[in-house]
Amino acid sequence: MKMNTDRFSLTVDEYLAETNVLFYLNDAVTQLLEHKEEYTQFGVVRYFAEYFASVKNGNHVLFREFSYIKATPHNRESFIHIFWKCFRQIGKNGDLLAMSEYSSLLQLLCPDFPSEMVQNTARIVLIDDATDCLSFSDFIYSFQIQFYYEEFVESVSVIYQDLLSGKNPNTVIVPTSTSVEQLSSAANEEPDAQEGVDSSIFCECIEGLCERFKHKFPSIVAIKEILESSQRVSFYSFLLALAKHEGINQDISALPNKSDLLIDPEMDQELERL
Amino acid sequence: MAEKRRAGVAMSGSCERDGAFACESGVSALLGSSLLTLLESRPRDPVGFLAEHFAHLSAQDDDAGPEHQAVSRALWNLSLAHHSQRSAFNSNTRTAFDLLTRDRGAGVVGVRGRLYTEMLRCLCSEGGLSGSTAAPLLRRVQCHDHESVPFELFRQGVLTCSVFSDYIRASQCLYGSVASASDRPAERALGQAVLETLREALEAADGDDVGRYLEASAKISPGKVAKAMAEAHPGNQQDNPVMDAQEFEDAAASLFIARVRMVT
Repeated sequence: MKMNTDRFSLTVDEYLAETNVLFYLNDAVTQLLEHKEEYTQFGVVRYFAEYFASVKNGNHVLFREFSYIKATPHNRESFIHIFWKCFRQIGKNGDLLAMSEYSSLLQLLCPDFPSEMVQNTARIVLIDDATDCLSFSDFIYSFQIQFYYEEFVESVSVIYQDLLSGKNPNTVIVPTSTSVEQLSSAANEEPDAQEGVDSSIFCECIEGLCERFKHKFPSIVAIKEILESSQRVSFYSFLLALAKHEGINQDISALPNKSDLLIDPEMDQELERL
Repeated sequence: MAEKRRAGVAMSGSCERDGAFACESGVSALLGSSLLTLLESRPRDPVGFLAEHFAHLSAQDDDAGPEHQAVSRALWNLSLAHHSQRSAFNSNTRTAFDLLTRDRGAGVVGVRGRLYTEMLRCLCSEGGLSGSTAAPLLRRVQCHDHESVPFELFRQGVLTCSVFSDYIRASQCLYGSVASASDRPAERALGQAVLETLREALEAADGDDVGRYLEASAKISPGKVAKAMAEAHPGNQQDNPVMDAQEFEDAAASLFIARVRMVT
């Protein structure tokens, strides 16, 4: 959440918007007003100190509602990181979990976490519908893309559908959630969807989207790297490639490399004692 | 309809209660002043800044070591903006000064000399300077323990130490470029040629004319330094043929310190 030296040339509103300071202040005050009796014993100044310390450390998203968790990029990254820390032991035995089980795990940390997002994650990884079980590692990297770049994924999906249906690639429609559902179910019915679209046109359209996109998106360099590797690409193979891309993972900085994903020395020590 | 109105009244009632609570508990004033402080400093990490800011405020009520706390809070304020961001730096210096003068009696203006000296020492240490490098500078700018340091002197002292830290860091990089390898010391002739170029640049910076800055930066340009190094020839055979990093740093430091006015 650190800014560069240009921050002195930003207006007050721009500076505050860069790291969503007003959002956090707003939430801190709302929480304080909702739990007055509890927090005023503690001391109002200390309350704010604890609140902002927990935001800085990334613990602030624990057990909060979904609307709070998805509200800022820092919140999303913190949630993904906490999910990994809490549940990485599950991956150690190589167990495969069903999507409903991943949903339950997410809801342990966030009671109203929507299961649709887990279903969308599954579509990225699972090639056939025969099984809906994934390894922890496969799940979490795909989940990261789906959750952290949710708006980007939605917009790219619309671009993809337009290209498939032969529409003008430079027209980008901002989707509502219902239109995306309809479009993706339509794609699943078409046999041609498997063949995908031309990678270079797809790449140009995505670049055009990113020039004016207000939400977070993966680096253009990484996107180009992925799309230059083959002539045609399908939507889910593109998302899978984003999920596996090490550079994108480092940019988000919520998760370690795949080789370090399951390392948990403290828990290992505890388990050895038992 | 009546129920809706009642609910509406209940809603606005709870908003009014919240508003009253916010005022009475001092939340509005607290957040207002914190936001102003944030916007004045414009730190790179606003959330981290607010976490520390509120932590410092809440620690104010602790009894242990108020003086030590005042110095560490003053130091923290000074770390928020680099001295090149002059207006933010000046504002933070003012805040630090106010923090250190808070406990003095009415009518006493200025920071106690002992606190001022301790501040400068900590500032140099946080800037990465060793005790031995900072000592000659501190001898020039420090005050007696019993003296009272007014704001303008305080500001100059703080600025001098901050700039000196950067200067030493830059000299260390300069030595790195002169030495041909990181594990071997530089040749004396080259080191001395570069130091001589640095001295000329600093001398060009004396005087009232604003153009002196341009002249000074021209004298220390990479081209000038390279030329000096190319023209350097080995000096007296009896001298040590190499110059190590510490000797270079001490020589560069003394060029700076010689230009610092002694506080009397």
